[in-house]
Amino acid sequence: MSPNTQTVSKFKIWLGTPTFNFNAIFQIIGILLMVVGVLMFLPIGFSIHYNSGDAIPLAISGLATVIIGAIMFMITRGKDYSVQKREGYLIVALGWFCMTVFGSLPYALSGVIPDITNAFFETVSGMTTTGATIVTDIEAMPKGILFWRSLTQWIGGMGIIVLAIAIFPLLGIGGIELFVAEAPGPVSDKIHPRIKATARALWFIYVSLTAICCVLLLLGGMNFYDAINHAMTTMATGGFSTKNESMAFFDSAYIHYVVIIFMFLAGVNYTVIFFLVRFDLRRVWSNEEFRGYLIIVTLIALITTFLVYDATDQNLEKSFREATFQVVSIITTTGFITADYTAWKESLTALFFVLLFAGASAGSTSGGIKLIRHVVFFKNSLLEFRRLLHPKAVIRLKMNKEIVPARILTHILVFLLIYLGIFIIGTIIVVGLGMDLTSAAGAVATSLGNVGPGIGDVGPVDNFAALSSPIKWILVFLMLLGRLELFTILILFSPYFWKAN
Amino acid sequence: MRILIAGAGDIGFHLAKLLAFEKQDIILIDTDEEVLDNARTHLDVMTIRGDASTSHILEEAGVAKARLVIAVTTSEKTNVITAILAKKMGARQTIARVQSPEYLTTEQKSSFAELGVDSIISPQQLAANEVLRLLKQCSLTDVFDFEDGQMSLIGILLDDNSPIVNMRIDEVDRKYDHIPFKPIALLRGHQTMIPRPESILRRSDHIYFLAKKSDVETLLTIVGKDTVEVKNVMIIGGTEIALKTAQILEEYYRVILVERDKVRCKQMVHHLHNALVVCADPSNLGELEEEGLSNMDALVALTDNSESNIIASLMAEEAGVYKTIALVSNTHYVKLSQNIGVDTLINEKLIAANNIFRFVRKGNVEAITSVHGSDAEIIEFRITKSNRVTKKPLGELHLPSTSVVGGVIRGDQCFIPTGDFRLELEDKVIVFALPEAISTVEKVFR
Repeated sequence: MSPNTQTVSKFKIWLGTPTFNFNAIFQIIGILLMVVGVLMFLPIGFSIHYNSGDAIPLAISGLATVIIGAIMFMITRGKDYSVQKREGYLIVALGWFCMTVFGSLPYALSGVIPDITNAFFETVSGMTTTGATIVTDIEAMPKGILFWRSLTQWIGGMGIIVLAIAIFPLLGIGGIELFVAEAPGPVSDKIHPRIKATARALWFIYVSLTAICCVLLLLGGMNFYDAINHAMTTMATGGFSTKNESMAFFDSAYIHYVVIIFMFLAGVNYTVIFFLVRFDLRRVWSNEEFRGYLIIVTLIALITTFLVYDATDQNLEKSFREATFQVVSIITTTGFITADYTAWKESLTALFFVLLFAGASAGSTSGGIKLIRHVVFFKNSLLEFRRLLHPKAVIRLKMNKEIVPARILTHILVFLLIYLGIFIIGTIIVVGLGMDLTSAAGAVATSLGNVGPGIGDVGPVDNFAALSSPIKWILVFLMLLGRLELFTILILFSPYFWKAN
Repeated sequence: MRILIAGAGDIGFHLAKLLAFEKQDIILIDTDEEVLDNARTHLDVMTIRGDASTSHILEEAGVAKARLVIAVTTSEKTNVITAILAKKMGARQTIARVQSPEYLTTEQKSSFAELGVDSIISPQQLAANEVLRLLKQCSLTDVFDFEDGQMSLIGILLDDNSPIVNMRIDEVDRKYDHIPFKPIALLRGHQTMIPRPESILRRSDHIYFLAKKSDVETLLTIVGKDTVEVKNVMIIGGTEIALKTAQILEEYYRVILVERDKVRCKQMVHHLHNALVVCADPSNLGELEEEGLSNMDALVALTDNSESNIIASLMAEEAGVYKTIALVSNTHYVKLSQNIGVDTLINEKLIAANNIFRFVRKGNVEAITSVHGSDAEIIEFRITKSNRVTKKPLGELHLPSTSVVGGVIRGDQCFIPTGDFRLELEDKVIVFALPEAISTVEKVFR
């Protein structure tokens, strides 16, 4: 080691051929852990207020996470943090892994979910905003831990790295790589020239909408605890509820409509919400994905309303409300339920199964494939017919009046194919592990799409507790894959990642 | 502050990089999606695709709130129109890059200013000035005067003859104790670092000092360099840049300009009054020697082709020319400079970008300069308030490790400060800082 410079003193570890800057990786993961750890102290307020006896495990978990994070932060302090593409992906993937491991500490230490597999499943399901649960009696959980459960979804919704970029100064140049690797959707717009300001604006909108939702729920007669929990999991499109019956517990049309509207909003691209807040309606309406989102949700909700009205003896308003709630909840990958959609009609069960693959807008907190990819795929397929008829014509796919570059187009098509491929392989494996085909397909689709409820044995009124451990681990993996948009995780398994060229 | 940059080519990109470190809000406009893509993934900037000389693109970029609009596309017409439009739409200040020397005359400048183009820059002109600056002190690779030459930044290249190669910096300092030997920066390969006392100097290291005028000679003797005064300069190439350089250099030196094309030679003779224009093939060593290559003190290769320039410079080094400068078109080549045996590689786009950057910063600082082959900046601050900075010794100010206080000018005295040095009001502090440290350093001293 040459003693004469300060800039050379980075300890790069030799791994295969490429070298990774572990200083940057440790530094950023340290920060993420500190953020997660500090957030663990929030639920303690509820623990003390309700005297639920889980304050100490929460405090220990928080302290442990902060301390380990701080150690990682301190030992790499003041080193070189240059982050290349490789490190960007590694940081996001490892960061999410560490976060979920430490996030499951409160469950494990308090003994609420003693089994490691279950605790980890619950945390991943939370952080990825899936909302599939293994808890059989949610209402029996201590209030502090229960709040932490909702909080994991809220953190995971907007993304912890976006939060870290908003708060900490160091992410400088590398921040962009991380931002892109974590942000949902094939294209990430900046709403401000600087990434930090963008991240701040996103979190500002997120926090504000959550607060408004919470107040509106309070006005609907919820108590503060339920209101804040549900506001957080709604805005995160998560779907964890504090009640065993999920949203069906609250028998109030007002609450249901409020939640429908906020689930819908949570599925809108935040750039569009940004323009909406500024009343720049021209730009809102000119966004093709937003228009598609609005039209698709309305159409499907109306069709479902009609079918539900036909299948049950409920009045029209109730049919409309239940149908819309379920449709919005599944499309935005939230996963709240007010009615069992598998109990209406076989055709509706099939429809809801297909909706598990929808996803809302890119750049929102929702999971799944995302509508922009469907829209691009659909338009491109239509254009293919045009190309067949006019072989010499120059026909390019346009979104928002801009030509979609060939590279992004291929990326989207590849994404769709890999997504379906993973769904099929995942289903086969899960069936092989002893689940029936319908339930397996439902469980895999709902995990990959970060939705929550599936069909069959994992339908809206069932939960994931009865599944065997290996199946749970596979679903955990699928949830992470889905949340980080496949590529961020899959790239780690590609041979190119570990070779210099 | 919001800065619009039209054109994401070499100048635009480099400028965006320098300014993004400063945490400015930068919006980069270009018509080429690919270069924008590159900028977006590497820099913290916002990009807009489109023609910057149209009002709707400027409006989309929020020109009304822009503090500065910098138009540096390859088309000077686009640049001028962009600047004029931007100014009319509410930008506070505009800069346009031009090619044609016609635009640089004083009367032209004032009519442009009336139209809304506040400053006009020509990369060629700036490069020509740079060549002159480099030749004036040619045993140094770099020189920049602070406060009318009270203190100068000088760059020296260590070669085989240097007696201090393979010595530790503190050893050198002890050996020559009548003068402080404290380099503020060290360029090795393409890394810029801040040397410590225990650092060992190696051959081909490029070291930078802040020195009083009177000490420069002594430093040169320590390092083992003779002072050579340039008298004869050979310029190679018939480009616009070569002509500009010849025009400037012929006022100071005997200049021979070598260009292959006869027609071009005739055009150049029209513009040059003292320089000798020779029509010969620059790649032919025999022809160059006929024109007295070995008698030259300096060779400046300014053809369109980077590789030819480098080869010509190497041939000249071989023939015993003391100082060689080569123009390279690839910005990444610049960092190679000393490693390949050419004294200085210059790139007119980097020079332009650095100049604009300094221009942007001028209002905030007393003076600012950069060193060749590195993005580091040397900034001069004036201490205007007595606060923490004047109450604590330098060592306790917690400056970033990627920056160093190189010199202090107090009245007509100059100091090379150590850790226990205490600043006073109205001191001029000269700080060397790598890009990532600039904003922190600025916060401390302003």
